[in-house]
Amino acid sequence: MARGWWLRQRHYFLYMVREFTAVPMALWLLWFLVEIQRASNGPKGYYPHSSPGFVVFSVIVLGFALYHSYTFLSLAGVIIHIKGVSSRLIVLSQFALWFVASVVIAAALIGFAR
Amino acid sequence: MAEKRITIRATRFDPDKDRAPRLQSYDIPFSDDSMVVLDALNHIKSHVDGSLSYRWSCRMGICGSCGMMVNGTPKLTCNAFLRDYWPRSITVEPLQNFPIVRDLVIDMESFMHKLKSIKPWIIRKQDYPLGAGEHRQTMDQIDEFRQFSECINCMLCYAACPVYGLNDEFLGPAATALARRYNLDSRDQGVKERLPVIANSEGIWECSFVGECSVVCPKGVDPAKAIQQTKLDTTMRFVLPYGNREE
Repeated sequence: MARGWWLRQRHYFLYMVREFTAVPMALWLLWFLVEIQRASNGPKGYYPHSSPGFVVFSVIVLGFALYHSYTFLSLAGVIIHIKGVSSRLIVLSQFALWFVASVVIAAALIGFAR
Repeated sequence: MAEKRITIRATRFDPDKDRAPRLQSYDIPFSDDSMVVLDALNHIKSHVDGSLSYRWSCRMGICGSCGMMVNGTPKLTCNAFLRDYWPRSITVEPLQNFPIVRDLVIDMESFMHKLKSIKPWIIRKQDYPLGAGEHRQTMDQIDEFRQFSECINCMLCYAACPVYGLNDEFLGPAATALARRYNLDSRDQGVKERLPVIANSEGIWECSFVGECSVVCPKGVDPAKAIQQTKLDTTMRFVLPYGNREE
């Protein structure tokens, strides 16, 4: 198979983008583990990274994470089979759950930060 | 008015003479809007070059034997209309990801072996005696597997699957869809006989859900769905108590 097979069709290309999103997310999570280790001595003396480069990297990774989540949840209708329930309804319910979970987690994080 | 014509570029390969496949151009009349790529190939064989080799049989999207790459996309050539390509030329190549036997004919041996390995027939622990009458099914029971029974083994899904292109040991889309067709059949009791083939490392877990198999399927079978649902089922069988109960 030719090395550039994934450039031959839009569908293949989007598939590769979907798979590739895992790489920056893994890098960001590695950094997150380092930060947890840095914070292990308690809040005293801990300052999170806030350099512009890191903020830009985080925003880009957020974009990848959102795209990955979107593709993952869109495919849920293909994977989950519930008798009498349409694929479309399954997908919509996944997105609704995603939204609710995001709001709850955001509220919890903001609450803890105060 | 000048006769409408179209250029067909077809792969030619004679294993006794050629080192590699090459494309040969044929300029043929495009006389009727209902003409399909298979008609064009038949015209070439009948009127231009009788040595062109390719498979075909029914000419109506049922037998699954005329699958080829048409302008880089796996298609049944009996269902690829010239009017959708004209005035551009059409490149016809053998299904990719398979060895070429000659011209547009591929070697299907690997696929036939995979197909047989999933035991695509109804397996009973005890034969259902003829005297016992019909083995009845409700419409709901038929609907469980009907979609997957539409597969015509045309192998377009294998040509579209980059995973199979990179690893020809992969069980692949059609074989898994057919395994699911029988596993979902209320008359069948062969799930445990098929599991070692479909749930091994070259089976469903090799699939990374590209999804192109379902896009190219001419019968709307959706093999990607069959594979992902089988992943879910086998995981549930493993995780849940009584998951491996006798069916």
